Amino acid sequence: MTESDDFSLPLAAPPPPPPVPHWPARVQPMPLVEHEFEFSGRGDEYFRIWIVNLALTILSLGIFSAWAKVRTERYFYGNTKLVGVPFEYLAKPLPILLGRIIAVVLFSAYVLAGQFSIGLQLGLALLVAVLAPWLLVRGLMFRARYSSWRGLSFRFVPDYGESYIRFFVLFLPLLASFGLLYPWVKGKQKEFIVDHHRYGTQVFRFLARPGQFYPPYLIAWSVIFAWMFGGAMLFGFGVALLSAGSTSPPPQWIIWAFVVAIYAGYFVVLAFLAAAIANLVYNSTEVGGRRFQSRLKGGRLLWIYASNTVLILVSAGLLIPWAMVRLAQYRASCLSLLARDDFNGIEVRQGQGIDAIAAEVDGLFDIDIGL
Amino acid sequence: MTSLAARYFDGQSSRVHDVAVELLDNRTLRLRGAGIERDEPLEHLRVSPRLARIARTIELADGARLLLDDHPLIDQWFPLHNPLQRWVDRLERHAHAVAASIVVCVLSGAVLFYWGVPWMSDRIAAQLPEQVETRLGEEVLAQLDRFAGLAPSSLDMERQSGLLERFAALKADMPGAENHRLLFRNAAGIGPNALALPGGTVIITDQLVSLVNDDREIDAVLAHELGHQQQHHALRQTLRSSFVIVIAAMFAGDVSSASAVVVAVPTFLLQGHYSREFESEADAFALRTLAERGISPAWFAQAMRTLEAFVSDQGESDDSPGYLSSHPQTRERIDEAEFAGEKFAIEHPELYRERPDYDACAEDGICEDAESEEMDSDEVYECVDDDCERVEPDASLELQ
Repeated sequence: MTESDDFSLPLAAPPPPPPVPHWPARVQPMPLVEHEFEFSGRGDEYFRIWIVNLALTILSLGIFSAWAKVRTERYFYGNTKLVGVPFEYLAKPLPILLGRIIAVVLFSAYVLAGQFSIGLQLGLALLVAVLAPWLLVRGLMFRARYSSWRGLSFRFVPDYGESYIRFFVLFLPLLASFGLLYPWVKGKQKEFIVDHHRYGTQVFRFLARPGQFYPPYLIAWSVIFAWMFGGAMLFGFGVALLSAGSTSPPPQWIIWAFVVAIYAGYFVVLAFLAAAIANLVYNSTEVGGRRFQSRLKGGRLLWIYASNTVLILVSAGLLIPWAMVRLAQYRASCLSLLARDDFNGIEVRQGQGIDAIAAEVDGLFDIDIGL
Repeated sequence: MTSLAARYFDGQSSRVHDVAVELLDNRTLRLRGAGIERDEPLEHLRVSPRLARIARTIELADGARLLLDDHPLIDQWFPLHNPLQRWVDRLERHAHAVAASIVVCVLSGAVLFYWGVPWMSDRIAAQLPEQVETRLGEEVLAQLDRFAGLAPSSLDMERQSGLLERFAALKADMPGAENHRLLFRNAAGIGPNALALPGGTVIITDQLVSLVNDDREIDAVLAHELGHQQQHHALRQTLRSSFVIVIAAMFAGDVSSASAVVVAVPTFLLQGHYSREFESEADAFALRTLAERGISPAWFAQAMRTLEAFVSDQGESDDSPGYLSSHPQTRERIDEAEFAGEKFAIEHPELYRERPDYDACAEDGICEDAESEEMDSDEVYECVDDDCERVEPDASLELQ
């Protein structure tokens, strides 16, 4: 099934031959059909949900935030459709409330600790780092279990040992290589996340090798480096030009211009990098022989990010709902699933009994940590 | 009886079955479709809460589910389900409720940042053990020494001990000030400045010491920094910034990759707001303290002018903003100090020698001999002709 690592399409392997030997031999495999994801949410509509839920959260001193989260997730899931069928978010508010309390306490402690003592903050960061791979698996299990489509839930098969390798142990070579291994580590982590997802009997598979994460990162790094180098040259040149023949230090605006230019450069590169990585991950993901196709454009994403930032700042946050809807709309409009079947033949996994027991045990730690 | 079109999933496979759903009697839901014939008692069913235009789900007891477009009938079938979210849904659709929500959110945002964050931070600051603040101050000092280019002072010992005496005189019988200490640092990168670190440490830069014309200006600056110390401003400011960061990050978390910008801008603006509040508190404290110690508060105005003159000498091109940039609204602060100075002059006529515009020659006849008189003759004339008290301090500064 993993016959190819390149992105050229169509290349999904044909589905396994039908187990009916006496079927006429001339039967053709179904044609490959592209099913686009649709997002039908609207900014004005989501604004009403967002503002009312925010007000209720404030008036309830944060308690309602869990209900608000469920309503928000349901809005975005329910407005995302594939083959005309919406996704569903099934989680209940109470476990989310518990998870939120833990997350807020941890984050506040971390920020406060940073102001008092580097040692204390490092200790807390280390604690979170030690717990992070476990928390990550719990969070992925939670989200998968409560995400559903066509009456079947997704699953994330926990593998804590592997999670600790990819999200903890791999930081050692990462540090030892001064960050040069970062794309590879990132690839290994995405691979872990994708590979452990299931939808009914269908297994998700990550087809890219971790090395394929290098080109986007190398390009991003080179552009940033060139940008900073060029900026520093221009800066030095400008300072020399402006303060030539005088002993006074350079004007303040040139320093600000330099800082703003460097940050703008980061912003641009990050948008393009986000698009490239998202495309790489989706285009390398297969679920039971079906392939995703993601066509995010860096320039378009940059425009959305930049205009969202401006809108949020000038509206003191009131336009956040529009920003979220725009992003979701663009993401969905660039994503499709290539399949040869009509999605009617996917069964729930066998051995439900074991699952039920596992779900009970999980229930004890059934919290969604939003770190 | 109206029936609704729905899609039925048995929970075992992803197959879609189109069915018609209707209420049979008031207790049973009837599902009919190709190969599907189910009659389910309503009390075994669960319906998803109504939300905007998204599809509704009816869960059957065995894990099967019905997906149907939103329709008023659905909530009629299940009148008692999801009372809370049903109410929330009504609010979301109600223009007045939305408008009220906007008011609630904007108002609570304002209240949170103007009163909530300061109140929470100050409560915490009051609760924290003293060692935490001391420890924080040590960390900050170590970081300043390492990263901000603070070098050991190049002031001679005599000068240092003279200033230490003034500092001790200022903080004498100030409650809780026993452990406040004054440190000298040579800070070319920072320029003329004084800093109040958490936990009682005041730093004064050599650049400030050599800039001023009279040690009473240093008194004024130190009294201001002691005001920060007495009111634990450094710790409280730290706590406030932390809260702003936490709150802003909670909202802007996953909205855009620019969340750093979205968090940084409000943090920056609010920090400015909070620090102005602390500056005026410290100013008021300094003016009071100076007057109590028999030093005219007008020396505070004098110190401000000296620093202002230094900054404008540096010009707009100044890249080491120094003392004043963290102390905006200089004009207002000078006026306040002048006002306090006039009040001091009225209340303590006997302390006329403590005023910045005191002229020993004109008022007490203690004139310096001509040898050391290198002053501009204009100035002397002005002093003789005019009432000496009205010599503009700015003018005397320009002589330097």
